[in-house]
Amino acid sequence: MALYVAQSLPFFQAVPLREFLGETRWAPIHEPARYGILALLGATLVITGLALSVAVPLGLFSAVFLAAYAPPRLRPVLKPALELLAAVPTVVYGFFALRFVTPFLQRFLPLGFWNGLSAGLVMGIMITPYMASLSDDVLYAVPRSLWEGAYALGARKRQVVGRVVLPAAFSGIGAAFVLSFTRAVGETMIVALAAGRTPTWPPDPLRPLLPMTGAMVNIATGDHEAGALIWAHLFAIGLLLFLLTFLLNLISHGVIRRVQRRFA
Amino acid sequence: MRGLRDLWEGGLVLGAFLALPLALVALALMVVVTALQVGQLTAMDAVAEAGLTLTLRTLEGPDGAPVPYVQVAQVARDSPAARAGLARGDVLLAVAGRRVGRPLEAWRAVEAAPGGREIHLPLVWLPPLERALGTLRVERGGSEPALVLVAPAPAAQAQGLRPGDVLRKAAGIPVTSPRQAWETVLLLARQGEAPLELEVLRAGETAHLAFDPCGRAELLVVRDAWRAWVRFLTRVGDPRYPEQAGLLPALVGSLGVVAVMAAVAFPLGLAAAVYLEEFARPGRFRTLLDILLASLAGLPSAVVGLLGLEVFARGLLLGRSILAGGFTLAVLILPIVAIAGREALRTVPRSLREAALSVGATPGQTVFHQVLPAALPGLLTGMVLALSRAVGEAAPLLLLGAFLYVNYVPQSLRDSFTVVPIQIFDWATRPQDGYATVTACAIVFLLGLTLALNGLAIFLRARFQRRWAE
Repeated sequence: MALYVAQSLPFFQAVPLREFLGETRWAPIHEPARYGILALLGATLVITGLALSVAVPLGLFSAVFLAAYAPPRLRPVLKPALELLAAVPTVVYGFFALRFVTPFLQRFLPLGFWNGLSAGLVMGIMITPYMASLSDDVLYAVPRSLWEGAYALGARKRQVVGRVVLPAAFSGIGAAFVLSFTRAVGETMIVALAAGRTPTWPPDPLRPLLPMTGAMVNIATGDHEAGALIWAHLFAIGLLLFLLTFLLNLISHGVIRRVQRRFA
Repeated sequence: MRGLRDLWEGGLVLGAFLALPLALVALALMVVVTALQVGQLTAMDAVAEAGLTLTLRTLEGPDGAPVPYVQVAQVARDSPAARAGLARGDVLLAVAGRRVGRPLEAWRAVEAAPGGREIHLPLVWLPPLERALGTLRVERGGSEPALVLVAPAPAAQAQGLRPGDVLRKAAGIPVTSPRQAWETVLLLARQGEAPLELEVLRAGETAHLAFDPCGRAELLVVRDAWRAWVRFLTRVGDPRYPEQAGLLPALVGSLGVVAVMAAVAFPLGLAAAVYLEEFARPGRFRTLLDILLASLAGLPSAVVGLLGLEVFARGLLLGRSILAGGFTLAVLILPIVAIAGREALRTVPRSLREAALSVGATPGQTVFHQVLPAALPGLLTGMVLALSRAVGEAAPLLLLGAFLYVNYVPQSLRDSFTVVPIQIFDWATRPQDGYATVTACAIVFLLGLTLALNGLAIFLRARFQRRWAE
C-alpha cells in the first residue's frame, strides 16, 4: 500500500489530481499526454455492470436452487461442477469472447472487433460461480429454525425462500454482490483480450473500451523508458484499483462475518 | 402488491431451476467450440511435415478489392514438397481439388481430404514469374512499350514460347509490365482458367498459343494427430508461422514459476493457517486478521502483479526472471492456501485435540501429531486447487513484465520466461490464419491440466475426507 503511494508519487507531482480524476481523455504516450482516469473508470464500470447483470441473477438463482430445491443427493455433484466453472483460466474466457461471442453478436449488432459488450457478458459467466458460491454460503448460514418456523406456519417452499430466507440473508447477499463487483473490476485477461486497446468516451459497450486493468496490461507490456512518467501513472491506476477493491472487500467480508455470527 | 409478490415467487422458482443448467451449458459450449478447432492442428502439421510453410498474401484485383492468395514461404530441403517441385514463392492455387485463397482454406482442404493417415494430395500451383514465364523486359523502342520475353523459363519454352516473343494479351487482357503480367496470370489461374490463351507478337506476326503456367503434382502428406500434438508441445517454435508454433518454452516457464510459487506459498500459507486456527487467541485481533486475509485473497491479480514488479523485479533486482514470477504468484496464492488450510483444520473436531491434550501431549505435539494428519486430505485438496489457480494465472505475470514470447527454453531460475496462459494471450491476439487453431490447442491443453487438477482435488476430498461424528 505504502509502496503504491510511493511509486505513484512522481505522477501526482507531475499531474494535478484534478486532471487525473476529471479528464475524460486517456492518451499517455501522445503529445500532449492525457492521463484522464475517467475514460478508464467509465469503461470499467460499463463492463462490470454488464458482467453483474449476467452473474447476479444466474448466481443468485443457482444458489437458491442449491440451498432450497436441489435434491440432497445432487448437491455434492452440483457444487463441484460449479467450482469447475470457477477453475477455468480467465484467458480461456477471453479467447472465447474474442473468437466466438463477438462474431456471434456481430450478426445482430454493429459491433467492433473489440467491444465491451462481449467482454462484459463473458465476464458475467466467469463470475457466476463466484456469486453462486458466496450466496450459497450465506443462504446456508440462515438457521434451519427459520425455515422450519416458516414451514410450520403453512408457507409453501417458494414463500419460505422468497419471504423469509432471502430477506434474512439480505445483507449477506449484498456483500456477495459487492465481492462479485470487486472481482469484475479487477478482472484483467478477458478485457485485455476482448475489450480493446483504446478508450472511448463516453463509454459505449458496442465500441472498444479500455478499463483500468486493460490499461495496466497495456502499459506493462509496452516498451517504455525506465523512469518515465508512465510507470508512475501505472502505479497511480494500480493504487486506485487497490483502494477500490480492498476497501469494498474489507467491508463486505466484515458484513458476511457478522451475518454468520448472528445466525450461529 | 399481491400479484407482484406472486410474480416474484414464481420467477424465483423458474430462475432457480434455469440458472444452474444455463451456467453449466455455457461452460460446455465454451469447451466444445474450442475443441472443434483442434482438429486442424493435424492438417497444419501434416502440411508442415511435408515441407511446406504457407503465408497469406494479397494483390489488388481488377475491381480494386484485395484478392488473397496463398504463397509458399518456405520449402524444407529434401522434403516431399521439394521433391514434388514446389519452391519458395510458389502460389498454391488448389489443394485436393479445392481452390484455396487463404492458408486456412488449404489446411481445411487437407483436413477434409478423403483417405486415411497417408494421402496423396493433388496440388496445383503457380510458380513466380521467372519460373512460370521467364525473364521479361519492357522495351520502349517502338510506338508503344513492348513486353519482351528475354529468356523463357523451361516450362514456357516447352509450351512453345521463344526468346524475343512480345507478350500482348493473356486471355484477352492486355499485359504491360512483368509484375502486372504475372498478377494477371495469377488472377486467371485462380479462376481455374488453365490453360489460358496468350497473344504474342513473333517476328512481326501475331500468334495465339495455349499456355498452362501451373505446376501440378501429388504430394504425400501424413496426417498424424499424435505426432502433431507431440511436436506442438515439445518444440521451441518459430514465431512467424503458426504451423511451426511450439509450446515448450511456455511449458517450462509455467513449470518453473509454479514450482517456485509452491515452494514459497505452501509452507507459509500452511504456517499462517496453523497459527490462526490453532495458536492465535480468538478475539478482535484474530477477527481482524481473518477479514484482512479474505480481503487480500480478493485483490485483483493485476494489483498483485504490480507489487511483484516493484518488490521482486526491481527491489530485489530479480528482473523478469522465473524467480520473480514465482514469488509474485506466491503473494497471490498464499491467502488462498491459508484460507483453504484453515477450513481443513476447522473440520477436525475439538474432541481430538482435547483427547491428545488430556493424555499429556504438548500443544505442539497435538497439532503436529494429531490435528495436521487428520486434516491432511483437506489441506492437500486446498493445495491442489491453489496449483490449478496458479497454472492459469496470466495477469500478474504480464504486469511483472513476463515476455509474450520467448524463443528459447529457460535454463535457470534467473532466466526470463513466458507461461502457457501468456502464450495463449499472445497467440489469441494474432490475426493470421492458423493462430486460432494453435491457441485452441494450447487452451485444450491448459484446460485439461486445470480440470485434471480439480478432478484430483474432488477425488481427494471424496476419498479421504473422514466424516467426524460430532
